[in-house]
Amino acid sequence: MAVVEVRAVRGMILAVLPAAFGIAVFGVVYGALAGTRLGGPMTIAASLLVFSGTVQFSLVGLADAGASAGAVLATVAALNARNLVLGAVLRPYLHVGRGRRALLAYFLVDETVGLSVAARRDAGRTLLVSGLVCGTAWLGGTVVGVAGGRLPALQPLAEAIFPVLFVALAAITSETLGNAGRAAVGAALTGLLITAVPGLAGLAPVIAAIVVAVPGRQPAAQPPRDGGERTEVER
Amino acid sequence: MSPWLLLAAAALTYASRALAVAVLPAPPPRLHATLDRMPGPLFAGLAVLAIIDAGSTTPGVLGATVGALLLASLRSMLASVLGGIAGFAVTTLLL
Repeated sequence: MAVVEVRAVRGMILAVLPAAFGIAVFGVVYGALAGTRLGGPMTIAASLLVFSGTVQFSLVGLADAGASAGAVLATVAALNARNLVLGAVLRPYLHVGRGRRALLAYFLVDETVGLSVAARRDAGRTLLVSGLVCGTAWLGGTVVGVAGGRLPALQPLAEAIFPVLFVALAAITSETLGNAGRAAVGAALTGLLITAVPGLAGLAPVIAAIVVAVPGRQPAAQPPRDGGERTEVER
Repeated sequence: MSPWLLLAAAALTYASRALAVAVLPAPPPRLHATLDRMPGPLFAGLAVLAIIDAGSTTPGVLGATVGALLLASLRSMLASVLGGIAGFAVTTLLL
């Protein structure tokens, strides 16, 4: 049993390594950029406490622009809105108590959610393992960037990794032809939304996914019990 | 930027992650069925957003995406990454 578990964890680590590579490279970029503006300690603290490239890069830009605290927090809230949907998608696969789910929630980023949803019954452990790997990569990259490290040669490859990872996650989580079709429509709709309303770019994938996912078969109700009451299948 | 503002931003970020995962109750079956259909289109949409963020005119990014798409039917992270790397290498070398 222990050998099987080690093998499973090793598989999780291997699956997340490409994402970790891209995250580490962008960690270096973030560390180099933010270190000169926010200072080394604050930059590293941000990577540890926030653990979100989108939010952290935006904080640097907002600090540069002299934005008010209200504007900063409003922007952060808007950028994080999609976490609600990611969390809702992941929630049914986490078969642990509320306390553990609260701890695991720290690791909720796009890449770890995708891997965890694909892992199905092992979602909780996948979230933990992939989250630790990605978190270490992000923090490590930040420290390297703050310390003066630069990786200009790797940046184009790192930029290319993220679309590749999301294509892979879309494929892995689309188990039927119908779901693959939904994925394609979701991609097209996202492109249209971003083109039409560039200001909503960060939310476009979430909006497109909701629009595409709502129409579809609903779960069948259970047959009536004694007294004619209908109940739906509990998950 | 003050440390308090950073802490507030961190708290907001964590709260957005924890709300659906740990605070709200498990979704009812109808909502669960809809949520079950969301990952594919959501990640496909994130791929589009990532391409646009990286600069959609960058040949390497487009080549990597095409390479990953060509092997997407295998539904394997490793295959997609290898396809992406191959696509990136081909377009970077040729263009």
